[in-house]
Amino acid sequence: MSDNALVGKFKQGYDSLFEQNWPLWVGAVLIAFLAVLAAAVGRPWGVVGGLRVWGDWIWHAVGLAPRPMNHLFLSDGAILTWGLLAGAFGSALLSRQVAWTMAPAWELGKGLVGGILLGIGSGMAGGCNVGGFYTALAAGSISGFAMLIGLIAGAVVGLKYLLWEIEHVTIKSPAPKEKSGGADWSKSQPWLGVLFFLGLIGAAYALSFQAYTTTGLLLIIAAGIGLVIQRCRFCFVRAFRDPFMTGESVATKAVTVSTLLCLLGIMILKWTGALPEQSYVYHHWIGGLVGGAIFGFGMLLTGGCGSGSVWRAGEGQVKLIIAVLAFALSNSLFRAHVWTPAVAKAWGDPFFLPQLAGYFWALVITCVVLIAWWALTAWNEETDKLTMY
Amino acid sequence: MADYKADEILDARGLSCPMPILKTKKIMKDMKSGQILEIQGTDPGTKNDLPAYASRSGDEYLGMEQRDGYISFYIKKK
Repeated sequence: MSDNALVGKFKQGYDSLFEQNWPLWVGAVLIAFLAVLAAAVGRPWGVVGGLRVWGDWIWHAVGLAPRPMNHLFLSDGAILTWGLLAGAFGSALLSRQVAWTMAPAWELGKGLVGGILLGIGSGMAGGCNVGGFYTALAAGSISGFAMLIGLIAGAVVGLKYLLWEIEHVTIKSPAPKEKSGGADWSKSQPWLGVLFFLGLIGAAYALSFQAYTTTGLLLIIAAGIGLVIQRCRFCFVRAFRDPFMTGESVATKAVTVSTLLCLLGIMILKWTGALPEQSYVYHHWIGGLVGGAIFGFGMLLTGGCGSGSVWRAGEGQVKLIIAVLAFALSNSLFRAHVWTPAVAKAWGDPFFLPQLAGYFWALVITCVVLIAWWALTAWNEETDKLTMY
Repeated sequence: MADYKADEILDARGLSCPMPILKTKKIMKDMKSGQILEIQGTDPGTKNDLPAYASRSGDEYLGMEQRDGYISFYIKKK
């Protein structure tokens, strides 16, 4: 009798952890914590750095680019993105949410075009919603503020396009697949998930034996972020899109809270000298603004941003797998031939907000901006003044 | 575990966020009060998006049923 009750209790606990989604605010806090941890370990959280390394290596593999300087797995940027993907995949396994999900050709096309725009936009802005906005803002870079504005503008245009598309384009769903043996695969997913995470920890351990301890740590931290994001279905796109589409502000609130916490952590690290002041302050605001707008539009097409596309690819969503590949390849090309370091430099120097009037006022200004955004969407949730549909 | 009699069926299988919700909103506009819409989808996000949409629009979210390879969601126009 007590045995069954125990198993029952375990199942209940497992279900609440891995069947249902975690609340967004939990994700907001945990992501900020892990992002600050990554910064403390030496490499603030970013996604596009890794995607670009993937892109560089793929172009090199087909003979169209020279051998990249960054190691495909062990360079800091790459390990963060591998970790994000791995964490999301493992988390999806534990929740039985891994499924090869095909989409209609039109949607796959949006994944491709959107992915290319994400690559170009993030190339200009110096990163995606994470590296170009979240981490950049938290690190005190003016380009982060510019990208916030660009993302909102781009998302509005992207949403207008989707609303037009709903009226004028008929997208046919693909024929339903024959599910043979599907139930078995679903039952074994959690076990595979456990094995996968054990393997990940083992990999990090092995890395520390090869004197790659920081790399191993970053892998685990990034995997943690991937797991949290997948469990919460934490979506930056929603933060920019929902106020205009459904009027909801919950996603925006989650992102602003998370950004504020991350800001606090990274500013403390910089103020105490634990992190160099120029860390993540590399890009001019023009790139943030224009790149942000292009990225914002692209992410409405793909239905995923930088982090979002990667974790959804980890679940097996084919449209997003295409988007991630297009993203990686286009960012690599764009940064190598169009928005080169020389071109980026020509726009001027990046600006570190505390240079203006010190850390305290930089914190105040950033908080005011984020709280204003939060308040605007909360007001809109009540009045629906900005809701477009 | 009830099977609802749908007045309209929206096939949103293979569509990912935000298309299922956008299409739902569009179809609901033309439906009459009391009618039931069945949305067939594969996007995991719809499980959260649809109840949230219903609570804002005032429509009644009836529930969901796991089918072979997709999920059927039921929503009743207010």
